Amino acid sequence: MKKTKYITSGGLAFSEEKDMKKLQRFSREGWHLKDFAFMGYTLEKGEPADFIYSVDYRTLEDGEEDEYLDVFDSSGWSHVASAATIHLFRAPAGTKPLYTDRETTVEKYGRNSAWIGKAALPLVLLTGIAWAGAILSTGILNAFFFVAAVILTVMAVPAAWTALTAYENKWKAAGRIKAASLAKVLPFLIVMGALIAFVGFSNTNAAVKMFLSMLAGALALPLLVWAVMASANRLRAK
Amino acid sequence: MNKNEQLTDSMFYIMAVLAQPRHGYAIMSQIEETSEGAITIGPASMYTIIKKLLKSEWIYLYDDSDSRRKTYLLTDKGREVLEEDLKTRKLMIQLAENGLKEAGK
Repeated sequence: MKKTKYITSGGLAFSEEKDMKKLQRFSREGWHLKDFAFMGYTLEKGEPADFIYSVDYRTLEDGEEDEYLDVFDSSGWSHVASAATIHLFRAPAGTKPLYTDRETTVEKYGRNSAWIGKAALPLVLLTGIAWAGAILSTGILNAFFFVAAVILTVMAVPAAWTALTAYENKWKAAGRIKAASLAKVLPFLIVMGALIAFVGFSNTNAAVKMFLSMLAGALALPLLVWAVMASANRLRAK
Repeated sequence: MNKNEQLTDSMFYIMAVLAQPRHGYAIMSQIEETSEGAITIGPASMYTIIKKLLKSEWIYLYDDSDSRRKTYLLTDKGREVLEEDLKTRKLMIQLAENGLKEAGK
Protein backbone atom coordinates (compact mmCIF):
# COMPACT_ATOMS: atom_id res chain seq x y z
CA MET A 1 0.00 0.00 0.00
CA LYS A 2 1.17 3.50 -0.81
CA LYS A 3 2.60 5.38 2.17
CA THR A 4 2.22 8.93 0.81
CA LYS A 5 -0.30 10.78 -1.31
CA TYR A 6 -0.84 14.17 -2.88
CA ILE A 7 -3.76 16.52 -2.30
CA THR A 8 -4.41 19.89 -3.94
CA SER A 9 -4.38 23.29 -2.26
CA GLY A 10 -6.80 26.07 -3.12
CA GLY A 11 -3.82 28.45 -2.82
CA LEU A 12 -3.13 29.72 0.70
CA ALA A 13 -4.03 33.32 -0.12
CA PHE A 14 -7.37 32.15 -1.49
CA SER A 15 -8.37 29.36 0.88
CA GLU A 16 -6.16 29.20 3.97
CA GLU A 17 -9.01 28.23 6.28
CA LYS A 18 -10.42 25.64 3.88
CA ASP A 19 -6.98 24.09 3.37
CA MET A 20 -6.43 23.79 7.14
CA LYS A 21 -9.85 22.13 7.58
CA LYS A 22 -9.05 19.76 4.71
CA LEU A 23 -5.75 18.77 6.37
CA GLN A 24 -7.61 18.17 9.64
CA ARG A 25 -10.15 15.92 7.85
CA PHE A 26 -7.35 13.86 6.28
CA SER A 27 -5.56 13.52 9.64
CA ARG A 28 -8.72 12.03 11.14
CA GLU A 29 -8.49 9.37 8.43
CA GLY A 30 -4.81 8.76 9.25
CA TRP A 31 -3.28 10.86 6.45
CA HIS A 32 -1.00 13.47 8.01
CA LEU A 33 0.68 16.43 6.37
CA LYS A 34 4.31 15.75 5.49
CA ASP A 35 5.35 18.66 3.28
CA PHE A 36 4.36 21.28 0.77
CA ALA A 37 4.17 20.05 -2.83
CA PHE A 38 3.59 21.78 -6.15
CA MET A 39 0.15 23.45 -5.79
CA GLY A 40 -0.72 21.16 -2.91
CA TYR A 41 0.50 19.02 -0.05
CA THR A 42 2.08 15.60 0.47
CA LEU A 43 0.43 13.45 3.11
CA GLU A 44 1.85 10.46 4.94
CA LYS A 45 -0.06 7.41 6.18
CA GLY A 46 -0.19 6.96 9.96
CA GLU A 47 -2.62 6.42 12.81
CA PRO A 48 -5.83 8.50 12.69
CA ALA A 49 -5.58 11.51 15.04
CA ASP A 50 -7.55 14.67 15.72
CA PHE A 51 -4.97 17.25 14.66
CA ILE A 52 -5.60 20.89 13.82
CA TYR A 53 -3.37 22.82 11.42
CA SER A 54 -2.38 26.45 11.30
CA VAL A 55 -0.15 28.64 9.18
CA ASP A 56 2.12 31.58 9.98
CA TYR A 57 3.73 34.02 7.52
CA ARG A 58 7.07 35.39 8.59
CA THR A 59 10.56 36.08 7.27
CA LEU A 60 12.99 34.52 9.74
CA GLU A 61 16.40 36.13 10.12
CA ASP A 62 19.51 34.06 10.76
CA GLY A 63 19.51 32.59 14.25
CA GLU A 64 15.81 33.24 14.86
CA GLU A 65 14.54 29.82 13.91
CA ASP A 66 15.48 27.94 17.11
CA GLU A 67 13.64 30.37 19.34
CA TYR A 68 10.68 30.73 16.98
CA LEU A 69 10.09 26.98 16.75
CA ASP A 70 10.62 26.49 20.50
CA VAL A 71 7.92 29.02 21.38
CA PHE A 72 5.46 27.20 19.12
CA ASP A 73 6.57 23.76 20.23
CA SER A 74 6.19 24.49 23.94
CA SER A 75 2.66 25.75 23.23
CA GLY A 76 1.78 22.41 21.65
CA TRP A 77 2.30 23.39 17.99
CA SER A 78 4.86 21.21 16.23
CA HIS A 79 6.43 22.47 13.05
CA VAL A 80 5.62 20.37 9.99
CA ALA A 81 6.94 22.24 6.97
CA SER A 82 8.16 25.60 5.73
CA ALA A 83 8.30 27.08 2.24
CA ALA A 84 9.92 30.52 1.91
CA THR A 85 8.00 32.71 4.37
CA ILE A 86 5.19 30.21 5.00
CA HIS A 87 5.36 27.99 8.07
CA LEU A 88 2.87 25.21 8.79
CA PHE A 89 2.19 23.84 12.27
CA ARG A 90 0.13 20.98 13.72
CA ALA A 91 -1.33 20.50 17.21
CA PRO A 92 -3.80 18.25 19.00
CA ALA A 93 -7.39 19.59 18.65
CA GLY A 94 -8.16 22.06 21.44
CA THR A 95 -4.68 23.62 21.57
CA LYS A 96 -4.90 27.42 21.89
CA PRO A 97 -4.60 29.17 18.51
CA LEU A 98 -1.38 30.72 17.15
CA TYR A 99 -2.95 34.17 17.10
CA THR A 100 -5.10 35.35 19.99
CA ASP A 101 -5.73 39.02 19.19
CA ARG A 102 -6.84 41.08 16.24
CA GLU A 103 -3.80 43.40 16.09
CA THR A 104 -1.26 40.63 15.57
CA THR A 105 -3.61 38.74 13.22
CA VAL A 106 -3.81 41.84 11.01
CA GLU A 107 0.00 41.99 11.10
CA LYS A 108 0.21 38.34 10.01
CA TYR A 109 -1.78 39.04 6.84
CA GLY A 110 -0.05 42.42 6.48
CA ARG A 111 3.39 40.76 6.32
CA ASN A 112 2.07 38.33 3.71
CA SER A 113 0.37 40.94 1.52
CA ALA A 114 3.41 43.22 1.66
CA TRP A 115 5.61 40.35 0.49
CA ILE A 116 3.31 39.23 -2.35
CA GLY A 117 2.59 42.83 -3.31
CA LYS A 118 6.30 43.59 -3.64
CA ALA A 119 6.70 40.56 -5.94
CA ALA A 120 3.63 41.36 -8.07
CA LEU A 121 4.10 45.12 -8.54
CA PRO A 122 7.20 45.09 -10.82
CA LEU A 123 5.58 42.38 -12.93
CA VAL A 124 2.41 44.43 -13.36
CA LEU A 125 4.40 47.58 -14.19
CA LEU A 126 6.55 45.75 -16.76
CA THR A 127 3.40 44.32 -18.33
CA GLY A 128 1.94 47.81 -18.61
CA ILE A 129 5.10 49.11 -20.25
CA ALA A 130 5.16 46.19 -22.72
CA TRP A 131 1.55 46.80 -23.76
CA ALA A 132 2.16 50.53 -24.12
CA GLY A 133 5.16 49.66 -26.32
CA ALA A 134 3.07 47.25 -28.41
CA ILE A 135 0.35 49.84 -28.94
CA LEU A 136 2.70 52.73 -29.80
CA SER A 137 5.42 51.01 -31.86
CA THR A 138 5.56 49.54 -35.39
CA GLY A 139 7.58 46.93 -37.30
CA ILE A 140 10.06 44.59 -35.59
CA LEU A 141 9.85 46.53 -32.32
CA ASN A 142 6.10 46.06 -32.34
CA ALA A 143 6.44 42.29 -32.73
CA PHE A 144 8.94 42.17 -29.88
CA PHE A 145 6.77 44.21 -27.50
CA PHE A 146 3.76 42.17 -28.48
CA VAL A 147 5.33 38.82 -27.60
CA ALA A 148 6.80 40.23 -24.37
CA ALA A 149 3.44 41.69 -23.42
CA VAL A 150 1.57 38.42 -23.98
CA ILE A 151 4.07 36.42 -21.91
CA LEU A 152 4.14 38.99 -19.11
CA THR A 153 0.35 39.19 -18.97
CA VAL A 154 0.07 35.45 -18.42
CA MET A 155 2.28 35.83 -15.31
CA ALA A 156 1.09 39.24 -14.11
CA VAL A 157 -2.64 38.51 -13.96
CA PRO A 158 -2.46 35.61 -11.47
CA ALA A 159 0.26 37.45 -9.50
CA ALA A 160 -1.84 40.61 -9.23
CA TRP A 161 -4.90 38.57 -8.33
CA THR A 162 -3.04 36.73 -5.55
CA ALA A 163 -1.68 40.03 -4.20
CA LEU A 164 -5.15 41.55 -4.22
CA THR A 165 -6.52 38.53 -2.34
CA ALA A 166 -3.68 38.77 0.20
CA TYR A 167 -4.71 42.39 0.84
CA GLU A 168 -8.34 41.30 1.05
CA ASN A 169 -7.33 38.84 3.83
CA LYS A 170 -5.57 41.64 5.71
CA TRP A 171 -8.53 44.01 5.44
CA LYS A 172 -10.92 41.25 6.50
CA ALA A 173 -8.79 40.59 9.61
CA ALA A 174 -8.79 44.32 10.37
CA GLY A 175 -12.59 44.45 10.08
CA ARG A 176 -12.42 46.69 7.01
CA ILE A 177 -15.32 44.90 5.34
CA LYS A 178 -15.85 47.47 2.56
CA ALA A 179 -12.22 47.39 1.41
CA ALA A 180 -12.20 43.58 1.57
CA SER A 181 -15.40 43.27 -0.52
CA LEU A 182 -14.02 45.73 -3.06
CA ALA A 183 -10.86 43.60 -3.39
CA LYS A 184 -13.08 40.57 -3.93
CA VAL A 185 -15.23 42.07 -6.70
CA LEU A 186 -12.43 44.00 -8.43
CA PRO A 187 -11.37 41.09 -10.73
CA PHE A 188 -15.02 40.70 -11.85
CA LEU A 189 -15.28 44.44 -12.49
CA ILE A 190 -12.08 44.36 -14.57
CA VAL A 191 -13.44 41.49 -16.71
CA MET A 192 -16.66 43.40 -17.27
CA GLY A 193 -14.77 46.62 -18.03
CA ALA A 194 -12.47 44.85 -20.49
CA LEU A 195 -15.42 43.21 -22.26
CA ILE A 196 -17.29 46.51 -22.55
CA ALA A 197 -14.16 48.29 -23.79
CA PHE A 198 -13.60 45.47 -26.28
CA VAL A 199 -17.05 45.92 -27.80
CA GLY A 200 -16.81 49.72 -27.64
CA PHE A 201 -13.40 50.02 -29.28
CA SER A 202 -13.64 47.17 -31.75
CA ASN A 203 -12.28 49.33 -34.57
CA THR A 204 -9.05 50.35 -32.85
CA ASN A 205 -5.50 49.02 -32.79
CA ALA A 206 -5.00 45.26 -32.86
CA ALA A 207 -2.72 45.43 -29.78
CA VAL A 208 -5.42 47.19 -27.74
CA LYS A 209 -7.89 44.51 -28.76
CA MET A 210 -5.44 41.74 -27.92
CA PHE A 211 -4.71 43.29 -24.53
CA LEU A 212 -8.36 43.61 -23.60
CA SER A 213 -9.26 40.12 -24.72
CA MET A 214 -6.29 38.63 -22.87
CA LEU A 215 -7.22 40.48 -19.71
CA ALA A 216 -10.78 39.25 -19.95
CA GLY A 217 -9.67 35.73 -20.81
CA ALA A 218 -6.99 35.51 -18.12
CA LEU A 219 -9.52 36.46 -15.44
CA ALA A 220 -12.59 34.74 -16.86
CA LEU A 221 -11.00 31.30 -17.22
CA PRO A 222 -9.93 30.87 -13.56
CA LEU A 223 -13.24 32.40 -12.46
CA LEU A 224 -15.06 29.81 -14.52
CA VAL A 225 -12.91 26.97 -13.15
CA TRP A 226 -13.47 28.25 -9.63
CA ALA A 227 -17.23 28.53 -10.14
CA VAL A 228 -17.45 24.98 -11.49
CA MET A 229 -15.31 23.60 -8.65
CA ALA A 230 -17.23 25.52 -6.00
CA SER A 231 -20.59 24.22 -7.23
CA ALA A 232 -19.19 20.70 -7.57
CA ASN A 233 -17.95 20.85 -3.97
CA ARG A 234 -21.32 22.10 -2.80
CA LEU A 235 -23.10 19.27 -4.63
CA ARG A 236 -20.74 16.69 -3.12
CA ALA A 237 -21.27 18.11 0.38
CA LYS A 238 -25.05 17.55 0.09
CA MET B 1 5.23 52.40 17.64
CA ASN B 2 4.09 55.74 19.03
CA LYS B 3 4.78 56.32 22.70
CA ASN B 4 1.48 58.15 23.24
CA GLU B 5 -0.63 55.39 21.75
CA GLN B 6 -2.43 53.09 24.16
CA LEU B 7 -0.74 49.68 24.35
CA THR B 8 -2.76 46.75 23.02
CA ASP B 9 -3.89 44.39 25.77
CA SER B 10 -1.44 41.68 24.68
CA MET B 11 1.48 44.14 24.67
CA PHE B 12 0.47 45.31 28.13
CA TYR B 13 0.47 41.76 29.57
CA ILE B 14 3.79 40.88 27.97
CA MET B 15 5.50 44.06 29.14
CA ALA B 16 4.06 43.55 32.64
CA VAL B 17 5.67 40.10 33.02
CA LEU B 18 8.92 41.34 31.46
CA ALA B 19 9.66 43.42 34.56
CA GLN B 20 11.62 40.21 35.30
CA PRO B 21 13.84 38.51 32.69
CA ARG B 22 11.83 35.75 30.96
CA HIS B 23 11.96 33.68 27.79
CA GLY B 24 9.08 33.26 25.35
CA TYR B 25 7.38 30.26 26.85
CA ALA B 26 7.83 31.61 30.40
CA ILE B 27 6.08 34.83 29.32
CA MET B 28 3.05 32.91 28.07
CA SER B 29 2.79 30.61 31.08
CA GLN B 30 3.31 33.44 33.59
CA ILE B 31 0.44 35.42 32.03
CA GLU B 32 -1.78 32.36 32.03
CA GLU B 33 -0.96 31.36 35.61
CA THR B 34 -1.32 34.85 37.09
CA SER B 35 -4.67 35.33 35.39
CA GLU B 36 -5.77 31.80 36.37
CA GLY B 37 -6.31 30.93 32.72
CA ALA B 38 -8.54 33.93 31.98
CA ILE B 39 -5.90 35.45 29.68
CA THR B 40 -3.96 33.42 27.13
CA ILE B 41 -1.59 34.58 24.40
CA GLY B 42 -0.88 32.42 21.36
CA PRO B 43 2.75 31.78 20.37
CA ALA B 44 2.55 33.67 17.06
CA SER B 45 0.95 36.71 18.72
CA MET B 46 3.63 36.65 21.41
CA TYR B 47 6.51 36.24 18.97
CA THR B 48 5.19 39.14 16.85
CA ILE B 49 4.94 41.40 19.90
CA ILE B 50 8.42 40.48 21.22
CA LYS B 51 9.90 41.55 17.86
CA LYS B 52 7.93 44.77 17.95
CA LEU B 53 8.93 45.65 21.52
CA LEU B 54 12.58 44.98 20.67
CA LYS B 55 12.31 47.33 17.71
CA SER B 56 10.77 50.08 19.86
CA GLU B 57 13.53 49.45 22.43
CA TRP B 58 10.96 48.94 25.17
CA ILE B 59 12.57 45.56 25.94
CA TYR B 60 16.08 44.27 25.26
CA LEU B 61 17.74 40.92 24.77
CA TYR B 62 18.86 40.05 28.28
CA ASP B 63 20.52 36.66 27.70
CA ASP B 64 20.95 34.73 24.46
CA SER B 65 23.27 31.97 25.70
CA ASP B 66 20.48 29.44 24.94
CA SER B 67 19.45 30.12 21.32
CA ARG B 68 16.12 28.34 21.90
CA ARG B 69 15.25 30.22 25.08
CA LYS B 70 16.46 33.81 24.80
CA THR B 71 15.37 35.99 27.71
CA TYR B 72 14.15 39.58 27.57
CA LEU B 73 13.79 42.41 30.06
CA LEU B 74 12.08 45.84 30.08
CA THR B 75 14.29 48.83 29.29
CA ASP B 76 13.93 52.07 31.29
CA LYS B 77 11.96 53.50 28.38
CA GLY B 78 9.73 50.43 28.38
CA ARG B 79 9.12 50.75 32.10
CA GLU B 80 8.04 54.39 31.62
CA VAL B 81 5.66 53.43 28.81
CA LEU B 82 4.17 50.64 30.94
CA GLU B 83 3.74 52.95 33.94
CA GLU B 84 1.96 55.56 31.79
CA ASP B 85 -0.34 52.92 30.34
CA LEU B 86 -1.04 51.51 33.79
CA LYS B 87 -2.25 54.97 34.90
CA THR B 88 -4.74 55.10 32.03
CA ARG B 89 -5.92 51.57 32.77
CA LYS B 90 -6.40 52.40 36.46
CA LEU B 91 -8.60 55.35 35.41
CA MET B 92 -10.57 53.03 33.15
CA ILE B 93 -11.21 50.64 36.04
CA GLN B 94 -12.11 53.47 38.40
CA LEU B 95 -14.60 54.78 35.87
CA ALA B 96 -16.31 51.40 35.66
CA GLU B 97 -16.27 50.85 39.42
CA ASN B 98 -17.75 54.30 40.12
CA GLY B 99 -20.37 53.76 37.45
CA LEU B 100 -21.45 50.45 38.92
CA LYS B 101 -21.41 51.83 42.47
CA GLU B 102 -23.66 54.73 41.47
CA ALA B 103 -26.03 52.38 39.73
CA GLY B 104 -26.15 50.20 42.87
CA LYS B 105 -27.28 53.08 45.14
